[in-house]
Amino acid sequence: MDDRTPRSRNRSVPAGLVFAGLLAASPGAAADAPPFAARTGLELASTAAQSWAPDARLVYVENDEAVDAGGTSTRWGYLFYSPSEDRARVWSVRGGRIAAAENLDMRFDAPPVAAGWLDSGRALAAAEQGGGAAFRQSAHAQLQTMLLMRGAFSEGDPDVTTWTVVYSTPGAPSLFVVVDATNGKVQRTWRG
Amino acid sequence: MRRILHALALGTVLIATAPGLLLAARKAPGALMPATAKPATNRTSAEPSTDATALSKPVASAAVAKPSPDPNAAAVTTVTIERDRPVREKLPTLRFLKANRDFIRARFDHLRQESHVEHAGADAIDPRFVEYRQLLAAIAAGKDSVMRASDARERQGVFTSVEDLARLEHELDEMERLLDAQRTRLGLLQADFAGRQRTELDVLLTGGNILGGRVDSVRVTFEDGTTVSSALNETQRTSIARGGVLEVFRGLVEPRAQVLELALLGEGWSATGHGFVTLEPARDRLTFLKLDLAEARPALGIGSVAATTWLLDTSPQGSQDPSLRSAEATRDRP
Repeated sequence: MDDRTPRSRNRSVPAGLVFAGLLAASPGAAADAPPFAARTGLELASTAAQSWAPDARLVYVENDEAVDAGGTSTRWGYLFYSPSEDRARVWSVRGGRIAAAENLDMRFDAPPVAAGWLDSGRALAAAEQGGGAAFRQSAHAQLQTMLLMRGAFSEGDPDVTTWTVVYSTPGAPSLFVVVDATNGKVQRTWRG
Repeated sequence: MRRILHALALGTVLIATAPGLLLAARKAPGALMPATAKPATNRTSAEPSTDATALSKPVASAAVAKPSPDPNAAAVTTVTIERDRPVREKLPTLRFLKANRDFIRARFDHLRQESHVEHAGADAIDPRFVEYRQLLAAIAAGKDSVMRASDARERQGVFTSVEDLARLEHELDEMERLLDAQRTRLGLLQADFAGRQRTELDVLLTGGNILGGRVDSVRVTFEDGTTVSSALNETQRTSIARGGVLEVFRGLVEPRAQVLELALLGEGWSATGHGFVTLEPARDRLTFLKLDLAEARPALGIGSVAATTWLLDTSPQGSQDPSLRSAEATRDRP
């Protein structure tokens, strides 16, 4: 439990959450690509998704390379789900180009994220103010993951699209900060 | 709109020898093809073109293996057909999601589905449509003014003074403004509805040699496993050997580097006509991939097929190339 933030709740630890090896790979591949905010690559990914399936809708966004202090990354992954295909496909954007594309080998008929979601920079700023910065300093933690989705991490209203910002520290539970992606307010935090 | 009319006019220089088959005038590749001549289709539903609608699409047949010196012409690039699938860097993506798939999947499964009775909200009207109506209303208002002035003039009967002439000049100016307004409106309509090109790929087959085996069909397999194939009959084989071009596939593709698997099937080719081409279709452009069988031999394998790629030139210069108007169709391969 994170006692440093007033919004903290005593949440049960999501036992399945795994961080081993996340973002540790392929440092050289992204060396030359400029970092960008998550929304920047959305249009390109959407173009690809529309060529794949006309009813494709964005259901999930995650940084594929490390996120810096400004909420930008050199590579973001955009997952789309097509009801007609009943499949999900991800496009990873780097340097204004699609660096990878693959079908997700799991059923993921997630609801689409809200259209006007806040960009990663504003979401990270909110998370930092909502306990992330304090946790980084006190626990020598680092920003690990930013992910955008609807429903799964939202506690009160499952219909809300949220950014979930994950800070990890060796040998201790990570800090999760859930930010409402429509108004930038921290919805909740927990250690797990 | 002008581009489409222009293209239709140019379509008269094309000779169709079979459905979906074009004998095209020799012309720098990619010089003209109306972006909206044929609606783009998703790959899952795309079929090789075998209908006469292809007639409205001028298709170039020149085999150029290096960039054209004409700055207005689209650059043609030779691509290599490889026997083995190229090894590409495999970048990991969505690592958090994959590492925690069970947890996230479980969270979704526990989301309770509830029914809500809500008033059906109308979607927001595209502001462009409102603007079209406003433009039309403004034009109509201006037209009314002109009509009223014209009626008044008729009532007066004759022009007897300098003041009448000045009034006439004013009316002419008003008409000119109306024409300008209509021109603006049509320009907006064309830009919004006739000028949008999505990311598409057009795979063309040309050439062919009677002594070099017989191609019965061409199969293209995309990275996601989607396969399209196009069968050739005797008429089509003869036609492409004489310079015609067969459209094997046209449809939406992802704007990224990708490997296409090609297979020529038929006598002599089934065993050796299998290879891979790496392409990166440009975003919101039409990319052509032409497979030229002119120098191909089954004994030499798929590598003997000349493959070139270029982008459709949608610039006004490209669509108004005067040389197109003087192009002549020929049944003989240049």
